[in-house]
Amino acid sequence: MSTGPTGTDSAELSTDQPAAPSPAPNTRTAAPATGSGSTGSTGATGSGPSGAAPGAVQADVAPTAGGNAEIPAGAEGLRLSRISKILGGRTIVDTLDLTVAKGELVCLLGPSGCGKTTTLRMIGGFLQPDKGRLTINGKDFTFAKPEHRPTAMVFQNYALWPHMTVAKNIGFGLKVRKLSAAAIREKVDWALDLLSLTHHRDSMPARISGGEQQRVALARALVLEPEVLLMDEPLSNLDAKLRVSVRETIREIQQRLGITTVFVTHDQEEALSIADRVAVMNNGKIEQLDVPAELYRLPRTSFVAGFVGSMNTLDVAPRDGGVPLADGTVLPCERMSGDAGDAVWIRPEDLVIEPEGAPGSTRAVVLRVIPRGHYREVLLQCHGTTLRSFTDTEPEAEQAVGVRATDALVYADGVLVQQ
Amino acid sequence: MTVLTSQDTSPSPAGPSGSAGDGAGGRNGAGTGARRLRRIGFSALMVSPPVLVVLVFVGIPVVTGIAYALGYTGGPNEMATMLSNSVLRNNGAPTLDVFAKIFDDPLFLKGFWITITVTVVTVVVVTVLAWGIALYARLSGSRWSRILTGIAVVPMFIPVVIGAYAIRNFYLGSGFWGSVWQLLGVQMDPLSYHTSGVIIGQIWTSLPFAVLLISSGVAAVPDALIHAARDAGASMARAVWSVMVPMATVPTVIVATFTGVGVLGSFTVPFMIGATSPTMLGVQMVTTYNAYGLPQDAQAMAVVLFLMAILIGWGYVWAQARQARSSAVMN
Repeated sequence: MSTGPTGTDSAELSTDQPAAPSPAPNTRTAAPATGSGSTGSTGATGSGPSGAAPGAVQADVAPTAGGNAEIPAGAEGLRLSRISKILGGRTIVDTLDLTVAKGELVCLLGPSGCGKTTTLRMIGGFLQPDKGRLTINGKDFTFAKPEHRPTAMVFQNYALWPHMTVAKNIGFGLKVRKLSAAAIREKVDWALDLLSLTHHRDSMPARISGGEQQRVALARALVLEPEVLLMDEPLSNLDAKLRVSVRETIREIQQRLGITTVFVTHDQEEALSIADRVAVMNNGKIEQLDVPAELYRLPRTSFVAGFVGSMNTLDVAPRDGGVPLADGTVLPCERMSGDAGDAVWIRPEDLVIEPEGAPGSTRAVVLRVIPRGHYREVLLQCHGTTLRSFTDTEPEAEQAVGVRATDALVYADGVLVQQ
Repeated sequence: MTVLTSQDTSPSPAGPSGSAGDGAGGRNGAGTGARRLRRIGFSALMVSPPVLVVLVFVGIPVVTGIAYALGYTGGPNEMATMLSNSVLRNNGAPTLDVFAKIFDDPLFLKGFWITITVTVVTVVVVTVLAWGIALYARLSGSRWSRILTGIAVVPMFIPVVIGAYAIRNFYLGSGFWGSVWQLLGVQMDPLSYHTSGVIIGQIWTSLPFAVLLISSGVAAVPDALIHAARDAGASMARAVWSVMVPMATVPTVIVATFTGVGVLGSFTVPFMIGATSPTMLGVQMVTTYNAYGLPQDAQAMAVVLFLMAILIGWGYVWAQARQARSSAVMN
C-alpha cells in the first residue's frame, strides 16, 4: 500500500508521496481535432526517381524509451502475461501482454468490442482469464476474487449506492475492512477534502451533479489505497466541458498519489491528454503501446493511424518523393516514413497551404473552409483528389492555393514502413 | 366620425393601455376560470363511476357493518337483527359490548391467535423463500435457476380451491405424507386438519406473487452496484446484505403486506386444510354467522380483522410513499 490517506492533510500527503515514475515525455502532441480524415484515393500512377527525404523520419522512428522499453521487474505495478478471454464463443482478449510501471497511467484505447473493458474487468477480478497470468506488484492475482485484490475500480456509470450518503459510499469499503469509526471518519474526510466534496458529505448521490458523482466514485476508490486503480470510461457520461475539467483532476490526483492506473476509454483525445502511455487495442490485441506523442506521430499500423487523430488516406504507392494524386501529379512531401508501400497517410496539419505558385507546392482549389476555433479545417480539391488540411491561414472558398506535405506515413499491408 | 372613431379606438403608446389590458385580462381571467371549472367537472365525471361503485358496494356495507358491531341494529341492519339468535343493542351511543363478548369467548381468542400465528409465520417464510429463489436466480443465472423460478410461479395458475384440496389429501394420514412415513416405519401425525397444514397451504398460494415481485426488485439492482461492493472488499453475502436488500426494501415490504393481508382474510385454505375448530377468523366468522346465527358477533370479528389489516396496510402505504420519493429523486 503505497498510496492513500495517512491521516495527514492532503498537501502533506502529496509531498510525502514518491513522485510517480513518468515514462512519458512532458511534451505531448496536441491532437487538433477528432473525426475521420478525408480520404482521397487516387488511381494515378507514374514513374520517377524515389526522392523521399527520410533522414529526419528515420531518426524519429527509433523506439522511444517511454514507449515499449522493458520495465524493470521491481518497477512493475501490473503485468498481464498472455491473457486470453473467450466469451460467447468469441475471443475477446487474445494472448495480451501488458506491463504497467508503478505509478504509471496507461490508457486502453480502442473501438467498442475491442476487448478493453474485458481486460479491465479481468484485472479487477470480475472476469477470470481463460489463459495467461496476472500479477500486481509481483504477486499472482490471476484467479483471485475482486474482494481479495488490491485494486479499486471507478465504474462507467459511477455505481454509487443510491441508499447511502456520499460519506457512507466512500466509507463502505473501510467498514467492510472493520476499521474503527474514528479511522473511517478520518480517511473519509481525507478523501472528501481531496476531491473537494466536503460540503456533500451527507448528500444522497441522486442529489448531486454528474461531475460530483464521478468525484465521489473516485474518492470511494482512492480511500481504499489501491495498488492499482482501474477506471472504466469514467468520463463518458459527462458533458464536454466537465469531462476536460474532471480528467485534469483525475490526472493531477493520480500523479500526486503515484497510483498505478489503467484507464479505459474510446476517446482518443482523452487518452492522449491523460495517459503516460496509450495501448491501442483492436480485436483483443494491443496494436501499439506507446507514449501519446509517438502514438500520434508514428502510428505503427494503419488501424492505429486511422483511430488516433484525423488522416488523409491515399491508397497509392509513393513516387518521386511525393504522393501521386488522381491525375498523376505528385504532391510534394518533405519527409516520408518509407519509399515503398501501398498507402500514404498524411495528417491534415502536415498539409501546408501556401500562396499559389509557392516553390515546392502544387496547385489546389479550396472547396470549403470550416472554422474550428483556433484553427481552420480546409477541404481542398488537388488534381482530382480531395484533401483535408488544418491550417492557421485564412483561405477563402474557391481560392487557388499551393499545397505541400511536410510529413507522410507510408504503409504496406497496413504496417508502417520505416526506413 | 368614422375617422375619429377609428383614431379613438386605435392603441396609443401613451394612452391608458392599462385599462384595455385589464379588460382583456379580466376576460382572460374569466375564460381561464370557466375552463378550469369545465376541466374539473369533466375530471369529476370521469372518476365518478368507480367512486360511486366503491361508495355503494364497499363504503356503505363497511359503515353499516361497523355500526352493527357498535350496537346499531336498526335501519339497514334490521334484517340481520331479525335473523339473529342474539344481538346487543346500544342506548343511543356506540357500545363495545359485542367486542367485549367475543374477546371473552375462548374459541374466538384461539382463532385470533391462530390467525396471527399463521399470518406471521407465512409472511416470514414466504418472504425468506422468495428472497432465496430471487437471489439464486439473480446471482446464478443458470438454466436451473430459471426453471426454479418458473416452478415457483406455477401455483399462481392453479385455482386456490384445487390446490388446497390437493394439499389436504397429500398431508392426510392416509395420503402420500402418511404413507411415506409409514413405509419408513415412523408414525407421523397428519398435517391436514391442523394449523401447520394451513401454513403450508398459505405459503403455497402466496409464494408465486412474492417470487415475482421480489425477483423483479432484485433484478432491478444493477450489476455495477454489486461489483462495486465486491470491489470495495465485500463478500457476496455482504454485498447482498448491504446493497441488494436495502435497494429491494420496497418490493419486500409490498410482498409482506400483501401476503399478510391476504392470509389474514383468507377462507379457502383454512376451510379446506385447517381444523374445524379452532381455526382462522375467516372461517370462524362464517361459522359464527351461518351455524351459530350470530351475525353481530361475526361482524365484530370482521371489524377486528379489518383493524389488523389496516395496521398491515400502513406498511404498504409507507413503501409506496418511499417509492414515490425515490422516483421523484431519480427523475
